[in-house]
Amino acid sequence: MKSKIVWIQGVTCNGNSHSFLNYQNLDIFLKKVEFLYHPLLPSKYSLKELSEKRFDFDILIVEGAIKKSYERGIVSLNTLMEKLSIKARKIIALGTCAAFGGVFKSYDEKNIKGLIFDGEEKKGFFKELEKKVINIPGCPAHPEWLIYVLNMIEAKKKILLDDFLRPKEIYAFTVHSGCVRNEYFEWKVDAKSFGVKEGCLFYEQGCQAPYTHGSCNKILWNEVNSKTRAGMPCLGCTEPTFLKEELFKTKTYMSIPANMPLGVPKRAYLTITGVAKSFKIERLNKRLIDES
Amino acid sequence: MRVELIEKIEGEAKLEYRFKQDKIDFVKIVFPHYRGIEEILRNRPVWDALAINPRVCGICGHAHLFATVRAIENLYQNAGIDVNIAEKAKLIREITLFCEHIQNHLKWIYLVIVPIMKSIAKINIDQNSFLEIQKAIVNINRVLAIFSGQWPHSSYMVPGGVVCDPTHLDILQARNFLKNALNIVERRVFENIVFEEITVAELEKSKTDSGKIFRFLKENSLLSIGKANDRYLIFGEHSFTKRVKIIKTVSYPVKMKYVNEKSQKSGFAKNVTYKSNYYETGPLARMMLLKPNLIKQLHRAYKDGISTRIFARIAEISFLFKIVEEHLNSIELSQKSYNHIKTDIKEGYGESAVEAARGSLIHKIWVEKNIIKKYEIITPTQWNLSNGTPQKPATAQKAMIGLKNGKLAELVFRTFDICSVCTTH
Amino acid sequence: MAKGSRKEKRKIEIMDTALKLFSKNGFYTVTIADIAKELEMSVGNIYNYFSSKDALAKELIMYISKILGSNIRQINMEKISAKEKIEKIVRFYFSMAKERPELIDYFLRVYLSHREVFKDGCEGMICVSPFVTEIMIFFEEGVKNGELREQDFFSAFGLFMGYLGGMVYLKGEGMLPNDLDFYINSISENIYRALKNEE
Repeated sequence: MKSKIVWIQGVTCNGNSHSFLNYQNLDIFLKKVEFLYHPLLPSKYSLKELSEKRFDFDILIVEGAIKKSYERGIVSLNTLMEKLSIKARKIIALGTCAAFGGVFKSYDEKNIKGLIFDGEEKKGFFKELEKKVINIPGCPAHPEWLIYVLNMIEAKKKILLDDFLRPKEIYAFTVHSGCVRNEYFEWKVDAKSFGVKEGCLFYEQGCQAPYTHGSCNKILWNEVNSKTRAGMPCLGCTEPTFLKEELFKTKTYMSIPANMPLGVPKRAYLTITGVAKSFKIERLNKRLIDES
Repeated sequence: MRVELIEKIEGEAKLEYRFKQDKIDFVKIVFPHYRGIEEILRNRPVWDALAINPRVCGICGHAHLFATVRAIENLYQNAGIDVNIAEKAKLIREITLFCEHIQNHLKWIYLVIVPIMKSIAKINIDQNSFLEIQKAIVNINRVLAIFSGQWPHSSYMVPGGVVCDPTHLDILQARNFLKNALNIVERRVFENIVFEEITVAELEKSKTDSGKIFRFLKENSLLSIGKANDRYLIFGEHSFTKRVKIIKTVSYPVKMKYVNEKSQKSGFAKNVTYKSNYYETGPLARMMLLKPNLIKQLHRAYKDGISTRIFARIAEISFLFKIVEEHLNSIELSQKSYNHIKTDIKEGYGESAVEAARGSLIHKIWVEKNIIKKYEIITPTQWNLSNGTPQKPATAQKAMIGLKNGKLAELVFRTFDICSVCTTH
Repeated sequence: MAKGSRKEKRKIEIMDTALKLFSKNGFYTVTIADIAKELEMSVGNIYNYFSSKDALAKELIMYISKILGSNIRQINMEKISAKEKIEKIVRFYFSMAKERPELIDYFLRVYLSHREVFKDGCEGMICVSPFVTEIMIFFEEGVKNGELREQDFFSAFGLFMGYLGGMVYLKGEGMLPNDLDFYINSISENIYRALKNEE
C-alpha cells in the first residue's frame, strides 16, 4: 500500500516545496506515495477538507516555522497542527524554519519557533512530539535528504539522529567535506576575491562550511554543484543558529577565525595553520588554468 | 458577500465576491499573511540582504537576489563609487534569471492553469504530464545551478559581479542541460522553436498542450474573458526589456518616482499604482513590448483576455530558451566575473527593478554607516492584485468583474500567476 | 625518544651547553668540536644526537620555542584580564632574558639574524609554532572578550614581541641605564594601551 503523506506549511517561502520538485526521480517516487495534501502538487484534499475531514495517514511533513495564530486555510496553523500531529506516525520538520525557526524567526522571536526547537533550545511549540519528529534542516533542504528519510521510515529502519534530531547519515558530515577548494583549505590559501575558482572562502569571505553539518558537497545540488564549489560562502543554513550576521565576511579576532572547524581545538588549528602557511605552494598560489 | 479560499498559489489568498444579478459585481483580494522581511533586514549589514532576500520566495528567489544586488550597486553608485560589471557577469546573471522564469512558467501551466481548467470542463491533458515536464524543470535548474551553485536560494550575485568562475566545460554542460529541457518542452508544450511567431490558426491546429489549451478556451467560449485595463508596465531593464508603460500598444517612458505603494485596510499586501493608475505587469506586458506575431494576433482579437495572457506566458518560455542559448554562446570566459568595489557607505539610498517571472520587482534600500536602515520591496503580484474601487478597479479585479461564477473568476485570477509569499513578504 | 630517558637528558645537556657557547663566542665561531670538548664527549658521540650543526641549530630554536610557549600557555590558562596577562608575559620574558640569557640571545642573534641556517625545514612558523600559537591565542581571546582591539595579527605581534626583543637587545648592548625589571610596568602599560579596545 502507498504511504500517505500530508505536507503542510507554516511561516515559509515555499523553498522546500520547490526544492522537492527538483528531485530527479520524482516520477518513480510518486508511484510509491500518495500526497493527501501538498502545497504545489495536485492532491486528494483541499486545505479546507484537510481541517474538516477525518482520515488516516502515515507521515506529516511540516515546512515553515510555527506561529500558532498563523492562518492556514480556514483555521489557525496551531489547530491544523494539533489535529494532524496526533494522527501522524512520523513527523518530518523539513527545512530550517520548521526545525529551528529559521529566517523568519527574527521578525517575531517569541511567537515564531521550530516544532521541537527554538533556535538551539528545545523549546519549540510542539516539543512533546519529540519522539515522532525528525528534523531535516537546510534552507532549503535537499530533495535527496527528504527522500532518504521517507524511504527509511517506509522500510521501518532505524534512523540515527544527532542532538538536534538530524539524521546522522546526512548531517554527520560537514559541508566542507567534498568541496573542490579543499586543497586551498589544507594549505591555508585564501580566495583573493570573489569570482575565482582558486582559494578557500573560509578566511575572508565568511564561509561556514568547515563547521556546518550537511552533505551539500557530497550529494550535490541539482546534481551538479554546490554553493562553495560555485564560489559562494556557505551560510550555515542547516544549523539552529541560521541566520547569523555579516554573512560575506569571516568573523576574526586579531586575524584568527572566530569559528574553528568542527571539533578542532584552537591550539591544534593554529599550530597546523602556522606550519601550513610557512610553505608557499606555488601551484596553489597561481591561476589553476592559465597559458603557461 | 461570498468568500473563496484560493490555494496552491505559493500560499493562499481569499477572494471576497459581491454578486449582482448573477454576475460578479466587485471582488476584493485579501492575502492573510505577513512575514516581516523588511523588518528582518533592518539594522543588518548591507550585504546580508543578499542572503535574506532570496528567502522571500521559493520560486522566484533569484529575481529577489538580482533586485537586491542591483539596489546595492545603485546605492554605491549614488555614493560616487564606481561600479563596473563585466559583460560576462551580466550575461550570467541573465541566464540564471531567465532559467528561473522558464521553470516558473512551466510549473504554472501544469500545476496552476491545467488543474483549474480541468475543474471547469474536460481538457485532454494527462494528469501525469507534469511528471514529464518536471524532467525539463530539473534540467533547467541544473543550468542555473552550474552558475549559482544551487537553486533555490543561492546568493551568488554580489555587488561587482558574480562569484562563479565557469569553464568551457561548465558552459558545455549547461548547453546540454538546456537542450534536454527544450526537447521535453518541444514534445509537450509547443513543437515549434519559434512558437511566439506562429499564427493563431496554427496554434489552433497544434497537437501539443498549447493547442489543447487554446481549443479548450475556444470550445468553452473563454478566449476573451478576463480583460483587464489593457495597460502595462515594465520596470526591469534587461537585454530584451526597457522601462516603459504601454497603453494601446504604444510605449512611453516611466520613472520610479511615480510608483506609489500604500497599505490597505484588510490583509497585509500593499496596493501599488503608477501615477494613481493600476497596471498589469508580467509576461503579457513584456510580450506587448516585444510584439511577437502570436501575441499581436491574439491581442488584436481578444485584447488582454485570458487567452492573450496565457499564451504570452507560454510564448515567453520559447523566447527565453533562445535568449539563454544565445547568452551561453556569447559568454567571454576570459573576462572577470567580479570587480572589487569599495563598500563603505556613510549614508545613502539605492533602488532597483528587475523583471521577475511574474513581472516588475522593485527593491529600495536606505543605509547609514553600512547598516540597512530601511528596505522596501514591491512585488509583481502587488501590481496585478492591488485592490481598487468599484469605480476604479485594479488589474485582476477588472478582469474578474462581470463573470458568472467563482470558478471562472478563479481561472482568470490564476492566469496572473499569483505568488502569495512574494505579495506577503 | 622517551621523555626523561638518559638519552633525552644528555640531548638537553648538549643543547644547553651549545646555547651558552653560541651566546658567549658567536654562532659561527663555535664548532661541534668545541661543544664536545666543553661536555667532555667525543665529537662522534655528539653526531649521534645531531647529524650536523645546522640540525642542532634547528632543534635549538624548537627547544626554545617550546619553553617560551609552555610558559605563556600557563599564563593564557589563568582567569585574568588581558591587561594582567600582558604584564605577566613581559615579566616572564624579561626574567628569561636575565636567568637564561642564552635562550633569548639565540632567538634574537641567531634565529632572527642568520635565516640562511634555517631556510630548509624551519621556514616561517614551523620551528617557532608553539610560541607563536600561544601569542595568537592570547590575542584572540583578548579581542574576543572585547578587551583588545581587532587588528591584523602581525601588526600586534610585531608591536609586542618586537618591543620586548628590542629592550633585551639594548640591555645586551649595555645601552640601558636600568635593569630590565625597572621597565616592566611602563612597558606593559605601553603595550596594553597600544592594543586595547577603545570603544
